[in-house]
Amino acid sequence: MKQLILIVSLICAPLPALAHKVIAGVFPAGDAIEGELGFSNGDMAVGQEVIVFGPDGAELGRTVTDEDGFFLYIPNSPVAHTFTADMGAGHVAKVIMPADEVAEIMGVAAEFVEAPVTVSDISAEGANGGTVASLSDEEREVIAKAVRDEIRPLRREIAAYREKNDMQSILGGIGYIVGLFGFGFYLAARRKMAA
Amino acid sequence: MHIVDGALSNPVVIGGAIAAAGGIAVGLKSLDIDRIPTAGVLSASFFVASLIHVPIGPSSVHLILNGLAGLLLGWAAFPALFVGLLLQAVFFGFGGLTVLGVNTFNIAMPAVLAWMIFGRLIGRGSAVHGAIWGGLGGAFAIAATTLFVAVSLALTGDEFLPAAKLVFFAHIPVMVVEAVLTGFAVLLARKVKPELFLKGSSA
Repeated sequence: MKQLILIVSLICAPLPALAHKVIAGVFPAGDAIEGELGFSNGDMAVGQEVIVFGPDGAELGRTVTDEDGFFLYIPNSPVAHTFTADMGAGHVAKVIMPADEVAEIMGVAAEFVEAPVTVSDISAEGANGGTVASLSDEEREVIAKAVRDEIRPLRREIAAYREKNDMQSILGGIGYIVGLFGFGFYLAARRKMAA
Repeated sequence: MHIVDGALSNPVVIGGAIAAAGGIAVGLKSLDIDRIPTAGVLSASFFVASLIHVPIGPSSVHLILNGLAGLLLGWAAFPALFVGLLLQAVFFGFGGLTVLGVNTFNIAMPAVLAWMIFGRLIGRGSAVHGAIWGGLGGAFAIAATTLFVAVSLALTGDEFLPAAKLVFFAHIPVMVVEAVLTGFAVLLARKVKPELFLKGSSA
């Protein structure tokens, strides 16, 4: 009886998703690298530790995903970053952000330090100047963040769409199987004829 | 059930590939002209079955149908399931090409084992008897596959028991569904084409 209860409770326990495919992506987000981690059935990996490795295999740092499966990592060297996460039961995610993209992110970060001088110069000398130039750094940050938030669901939808198995690939696969076994038939028939 | 690229260490991947190649060779030898259509149909069913998901709690697992393939094909299940797995990897991204060997072995070997244990029993007695043994064979193949997957993961470094438990319990619903499906498939085949199994058990 005890065993039965144990088994039932184990079945009912929320098991981590055992879907087949892991979705992982990284993209630049301001001066950080943002990434997402989840499964192709739409479950996101929550509280999953992500380990970041450099090109030489040395560990650069670690980060943890939030409740939407997103994680942030601020790079401190312009080398290729490899993000890996072991989600257990054979699910391993591995994404690489190439060195030039990381450098670009860090370039953005560097610009932010110098930017205030030029921006305040423009706004001081030309109060009646164009509105474009009067955007402060904070405003730019806010806009960038808003845009990122807006496109996030789109990004997720595209990722999910990429994983979708449509009728065409199913029928295509069956077509291959028919063809392959037809070929097998041909070979077997030839063998029989020769014998 | 499909192990993905990069989850296993190289020795496991290479070992799996060699074992799968051996199984495929034996299977191709046993695959005579009369059984090619059976193999093709089962390969296609296996390919599509993985798209049928059984929801359990927050997650889902899919049908495998390797027990049925094994019971009908014997060693020929190896090439049939290999073709299915290869196409799943290419079309759906299930598993991956480097771990194809391991996945083939993990899925096809239990199928062959099910055939060795239950193959003879199915051809004997009444059709209903055969169907019950068939159902047991179907469930057995899934259970053995979960065990094989857990062993592959354990050889790479995962703790064996937690991994095995996780995969095994997650697949209990699949075992039940497959047992019923395989049982009925055997029942139908025993009624309409009894020689299928008589031949299978003597092969």
